[in-house]
Amino acid sequence: MITVFNAVLIILITWLTYMYFDLREKVTPAQDRYLQLIDGVASIIDCLEGYDKPHSQEIARLADQIGTASGLNAEQLQSLRAAAMLHDIGELLLPRNLLKSEKKIAGDDLELLRTHTLLGELHLRTQIAGLDEVPSLIRWHHERWDGLGYPDNLKGEEIPVAARIISMADSISAMNAKRAYRSRQFAKSEDIVAEVKRLSGLQFDPQLVKIWLEIGSPVETKQK
Amino acid sequence: MTLRLQSAWLFEAVSEIASVDSVFFPVIHRFSALNWLSRREFSLSVNAVIASQAMLLRAWLDGKNGSFSDKNRQKFNQQIKNPLDMSMNPFRAWKDRWFDSQQLDYLFYWREAAFEIEEESQREIFWSVVYQIMSYWLSNRACEISPDCHPDEIMGLMLSRHQSFISGRDAKIEITNQSLDELEAKKAGLVVFPLSLADDETPEVTLQIFFDAWQNGHDDLELSRRERRVQLRKFQINIERSNDYYLFTKLATNAQIAALVWSGIDLPPTFYEQQLIRPLQKAFEERYSNSRLLMKAVDRSSDAYDYLLLFY
Repeated sequence: MITVFNAVLIILITWLTYMYFDLREKVTPAQDRYLQLIDGVASIIDCLEGYDKPHSQEIARLADQIGTASGLNAEQLQSLRAAAMLHDIGELLLPRNLLKSEKKIAGDDLELLRTHTLLGELHLRTQIAGLDEVPSLIRWHHERWDGLGYPDNLKGEEIPVAARIISMADSISAMNAKRAYRSRQFAKSEDIVAEVKRLSGLQFDPQLVKIWLEIGSPVETKQK
Repeated sequence: MTLRLQSAWLFEAVSEIASVDSVFFPVIHRFSALNWLSRREFSLSVNAVIASQAMLLRAWLDGKNGSFSDKNRQKFNQQIKNPLDMSMNPFRAWKDRWFDSQQLDYLFYWREAAFEIEEESQREIFWSVVYQIMSYWLSNRACEISPDCHPDEIMGLMLSRHQSFISGRDAKIEITNQSLDELEAKKAGLVVFPLSLADDETPEVTLQIFFDAWQNGHDDLELSRRERRVQLRKFQINIERSNDYYLFTKLATNAQIAALVWSGIDLPPTFYEQQLIRPLQKAFEERYSNSRLLMKAVDRSSDAYDYLLLFY
């Protein structure tokens, strides 16, 4: 026999289940749309930077692999993915000829180019609420483990782990990318592995290098 | 406790209050944290409480002394052909625990070589590059990674890194090495106090302890640690004791704006209001009538934030 209490309980559970699926149906496509939007923006940045491949997608994939193996939680991974896709968004606010330059950028132009980390952070922080640490990760994606990066010269563990991962994934992806001002640095995986190991403790967090090596040093290579 | 000094953020906030062209740091936690400021039009007065930190500031931020000369590179960055006698090495107690025998051979050789460098400024660049190399070796060892770079190769790499770091630098920077008792307030648009909220030994502090021991030619880390503690004692304040704020108010006397920066976990606003801001407001009330607390999310899952407290 169903008591009034049980009836109320069943109705309540049914209602909560309905609410859950309804909400999930509404939320998931929105999240997909959000990710698609980020993909679109990132592809524009890649094109503007003169990459010969979907660089932002590649670093997001790499960052995701390293982040997962490092034990980041779901929230951290979500921020990591978004920041990895949008890491160079500040470059959209710089003069186009600077990014299309066929010479290696130096001097005042280099200083100007380096402001993209600050511009990206500032723009996202002021224009989009609720991004939490994503703007900070964008600010710090060019920091180095040895404290000689930019813009804040953070050193070692002062740099949030997600920013350290993006920095490493960005560099690995750039190592085998062709740019307007230079040809591909390394075509073979083993050369990239050697270079990453050489930069462990200088540019990269040794712990992340170790993790990257343990997961099979993933990198997408292209032949010259 | 980690401390992130975000200079561009600090100036974005300060510029809403006043135009500032000079900055005074009574203490600084790490030399490279001032890179952004030293590359802009600010006059900087920086006090390093520890002598080796003052040397690092001169070598990496000032830039007036240029880079390590080619002549000195050839003379002092030699490759050691055969292993040295470890019993003669003053750092042998560190063997296999912190450094391998090849690294210790080079630490021994580099220290002896440094004393043969005639020009002091060149010697300081050489010392400071060894500081960076020790950092590189210690952090790799902590993760059980053996770097593929030979010591003389890493020395060459670091000297080049130093050269590019100081390239085009025209910093207006005055570096002092005084105790906080001796230090006087400087006339400046802004005085900045980087705060470390706990005295845990960070990897950077450990590195400084190693470097100070190495530079002084011994392997006694406890001695180095004690000496450092003595030098920094004056900068330790207890936020519950109002007399401890005297140091801040004394050093902020001639500054238009005072800024306190720190990094920490998210705490209830009332904690900051009651434990930190109100006592400081009281301490500064004769000098500044307004205050503003700003914060930025760094890592949501560990609840890490960076804080900036301005008095003006």
